[in-house]
Amino acid sequence: MLQLTDVAKSYPTPQGPLFVLDGIDLHLAPGESLALMGESGSGKSTLLHLAAGLDVPDRGEIHFHERALSALDEPARADLRRRHLGLVFQQFHLVPSLAVIDNLTLQARLADREDPDWTDHLLERLGLTGLEQRYPEQLSGGQQQRLAIGRALAPRPDLLLADEPTGNLDEAAADRVLALLHELIHESRCALLMVTHSARVAAPLDRCLRLHYGRLEPGEP
Amino acid sequence: MSGRRPARRAGVVGVTLATLLSHYRRHPGQLAMLLLGLWVAGALWSSVQAINATARDSYARAEALFETRLDRIERRDGTPLSPATYAALRRDGMAVSPLVAGELTLAGSAAGEAPLRLLGIDPLTLPGTSPLARRTGDAASLRDWLLPPHRLRAAPDVADAARRDPRLPPVEVDPGLPPATLVTDIGVAQRLLGLAGPTRLVIAPEAPAELPDALMRIPARQLASPGQLADSFHLNLTAMGLLALVVGLFIVHAALGLALEQRLGLLRTLRALGVPGRTLVVALGLELLTLGLVGAGLGILGGVLLARLLLPDVAASLASLYDSHVGTRLALPWHFWLGGVAIILGGLASAGAGLLWRVARLDVLALGHAQAWRARLGGLLRRQAWAGGALIMLAAGLGGWLWLTGDRQLVAGFVMVTAALLGVTLWLPAWLAGSWRLAARLGRRRALWAWALADLQLQLPRLQLPMMALLLALATNLGVSSMVGGFRLTFLDWLDQRLLADLYLHPEAERHDALQAWLADQPEVATLLPARHAEATLLDAAAQSAAPVALFGIRPAAVLRAHWPLRLPAAERDAAWQALAAGEVFVNEQLANRYRRRPGDTLTLRGADGRRHRLSIAAIYPDYGNPRPEVVMPVARLTRVFAAPPGSLGVVLRDAPGSRRQRLDALVTRLAARFGPATAESAIDQQALKADATRVFERTFAITRALDALTLGVAALALLTTLLAQAGTRRAQLAPLWALGVSRRRLVGVQCLQLTGTALGTALLALPLGLALAWALVAVINVAAFGWRLPLHLFPLQLLVTLGLAVLVAGLAALLPAWRLWRMPPRQLLQEFAAT
Ligand SMILES: Nc1ncnc2c1ncn2[C@@H]1O[C@H](COP(=O)(O)OP(=O)(O)OP(=O)(O)O)[C@@H](O)[C@H]1O
Ligand SMILES: [Mg+2]
Repeated sequence: MLQLTDVAKSYPTPQGPLFVLDGIDLHLAPGESLALMGESGSGKSTLLHLAAGLDVPDRGEIHFHERALSALDEPARADLRRRHLGLVFQQFHLVPSLAVIDNLTLQARLADREDPDWTDHLLERLGLTGLEQRYPEQLSGGQQQRLAIGRALAPRPDLLLADEPTGNLDEAAADRVLALLHELIHESRCALLMVTHSARVAAPLDRCLRLHYGRLEPGEP
Repeated sequence: MSGRRPARRAGVVGVTLATLLSHYRRHPGQLAMLLLGLWVAGALWSSVQAINATARDSYARAEALFETRLDRIERRDGTPLSPATYAALRRDGMAVSPLVAGELTLAGSAAGEAPLRLLGIDPLTLPGTSPLARRTGDAASLRDWLLPPHRLRAAPDVADAARRDPRLPPVEVDPGLPPATLVTDIGVAQRLLGLAGPTRLVIAPEAPAELPDALMRIPARQLASPGQLADSFHLNLTAMGLLALVVGLFIVHAALGLALEQRLGLLRTLRALGVPGRTLVVALGLELLTLGLVGAGLGILGGVLLARLLLPDVAASLASLYDSHVGTRLALPWHFWLGGVAIILGGLASAGAGLLWRVARLDVLALGHAQAWRARLGGLLRRQAWAGGALIMLAAGLGGWLWLTGDRQLVAGFVMVTAALLGVTLWLPAWLAGSWRLAARLGRRRALWAWALADLQLQLPRLQLPMMALLLALATNLGVSSMVGGFRLTFLDWLDQRLLADLYLHPEAERHDALQAWLADQPEVATLLPARHAEATLLDAAAQSAAPVALFGIRPAAVLRAHWPLRLPAAERDAAWQALAAGEVFVNEQLANRYRRRPGDTLTLRGADGRRHRLSIAAIYPDYGNPRPEVVMPVARLTRVFAAPPGSLGVVLRDAPGSRRQRLDALVTRLAARFGPATAESAIDQQALKADATRVFERTFAITRALDALTLGVAALALLTTLLAQAGTRRAQLAPLWALGVSRRRLVGVQCLQLTGTALGTALLALPLGLALAWALVAVINVAAFGWRLPLHLFPLQLLVTLGLAVLVAGLAALLPAWRLWRMPPRQLLQEFAAT
């Protein structure tokens, strides 16, 4: 479903180009879950951004559902994100001016795929029932995290891309959120590519890979 | 809890737009600021446009009536035409039509109310090109018009008053007539005005006429009003309106920039969630359009209300300055409304286009970084400073050229002023940044000082727009108040010079000479200054065109010679007075400018008796606030040569112990005993006269002052709203300092100092700009617009007031955010700290 072939990416810096990714090959099947590990600054977020079509690689090709991202223009990539991808960011990026319920359904509404039953189910499973009319700033860190996950799952994406979704939570809270995430993923038969530092977090996933000096190596959770 | 929720369908654009707009629900202050900016800009601009449109409508109606449509036939000697002359011309087959024009005071009108213009026409002979003739076209209405009780057409503003006058025929309202004008059948008009025959004959411009020698034909073209001066008055108004519009748009731009910068994160999130960049730009564009339409509606509404408030003063100004009559009721054509909406939307588009362009160009991952956003601003700042410098050079060059050539061109003047204002405004941020760097270097050792200045550099992108607005408002304020102040000083001086006598008497004609003789014998009287007034016609060399001028007779007594202002070096004044005594004349500046005469040139005047007189000009004198050309000569000559009727007698009191009032009263009491109370009542105290004249003067500048004050108020609002809108972000920046042990009181103090210091820096730049503006107004624009020149006065106090105003505006604007910071519980500051 997601296929990266010989992908390279560098950033221009005052000291010359910084080569972050260099010849990445990666395949993800539908429903499969994959943990991406690596040291800080190794390029994990960069890879995720490329996979989401938020950025373009210097070299190589990314296919999603057999379609090459490089062949799509910006509106088409945006369309693909809207309908098929769920994104969970390290800093959540909730919309501060929208109430919880509107944040939760935002992408689903953008994709014109709002499903009230699924929304209610998500609210209940995420423990956000009763908080629908609050604003993000009135939620705890864990609640915001769950809301961000809910927003990504609400349009029933085929692939969830999550960048350290539990980075801001303590272990117990992180475990609860992750357990929930796995259940919801199974329910909606969604694939998962998750960036994490933590072996504990990576362990329950189907596979684990490690980024090292711009290349992917098999990883030990 | 969780019942079935209905699915909402709105499409990508709809959802995006709703999400973008939700920002304003959480930040109503920003929305208010945006609408306020649009409202203010729109209101000031459209009020000026409404006033101009009304004036133009009045002018157009006045001109459409005859002045530009029909040629006029007059006797060469200026004596009234007789009905026999008219009959003879008609008999010879010429298509002339008789016309009666005069002034009529309506029964029951208040004392001091201006009389109306009454025109009598003969619809049967009036050429068809006149709008008057068209109106009486069909047979029934022609019959009504010609047969008793006849009909009277009245301009809308006077129709009701005309209906109440029992002498007048039944009234029909005619919106095509100029203000304060009545039209009726010639017979009725003659009866109402007490005339025996027509006052003039008119003829269609294309109709041939073989006139006898005693008559001349004055082409319609030459009768066109001397509208150029009034035009430049409106140009001045438009320029003021444009300035207000620009200041208002500064607010809009600042508010939009802020609203967008604070939504950068949101924009990125939306892009990440799959909203294409193009959709985002469309949604933002729709947001702008909605705001623009609401703002335009509010602005135009406000403008119309403001115009209604200002119009009476403007009409009074135009009447006293240019003798042009403007209705006091708004008359707004359809294109006023459309134009208002267009200019507000256009202004909003110009303020928003740059932002939209930047949104469209920034890529998804950089979109969220305010830093990237600001980095672009750095480059912008440099380019801005260069452009500003170039504009300042252009303004200086133009100024030098105007100075050297002495040419007073309105367009060059406006270009110079605009370039200077814009150039300095663009240059302001660079100037502020430079001053802060310098100040930072001076106070490097003090941590809080260094922080405050570094923080100001960070705030510059947000502060620059309100500071630019402040700069423009301060400079205009200084320029305009210097001009008005100088004008007032000159005017009061001139009043003192012209109103030399302590008492003015206007005796009945038959008592005039006796009174003059009696006054000359009174012990209180030092000098008698008789004055007379007559009318004449100024002819050009070919005696083809004619214009009315006023003749003014004075007695060149020593006091008067000492005070009468002349545009001559002091050394040449005595010679000029001798020339006056020897048969030459003085003319006022209005005559000199309008007919391009200088000392040494000659004038040909035709008196009421038809005789012509060639007169040589000895000197030119300033004559502020007088719309008419005027010629001055000794009163004895005016009486002899132009048969001027007896006029006023000015009495200059002798210096003596006791109060002036008492001596004046004693004289008036004896006068009443000798000549009766009626003559004594015609006495006017000079001080009352001065008060009257000053009131008229103040009215003239009412609109200038009003717009000026409004512009300054707008700048203050711009600053306040910017501060309020960014108060949240500011607190987040201040919270760490508070956490590090800086007391809230010091934080508030630092903030106020930062702002007032910046405002002061802005004001320092506004001073030279304002002075340059004052010079341009006084020496270039006014000469072109009003026809007279003013000396440039500088008021040191005014400079201090400008600095003080800047500090006041900044202080007031800083007060509310500072107070809110002051009142904020520490817990909340802690939250801000945790959030950063
Ligand atoms: N826009 C950019 N310009 C220049 N360099 C960048 C940019 N974004 C990232 N980098 C650099 O690229 C490298 C990889 O960054 P990336 O954010 O992908 O790391 P990461 O693996 O996600 O790290 P972390 O675990 O800390 O989140 C880093 O060295 C970073 O400094
Ligand atoms: Mg990362």
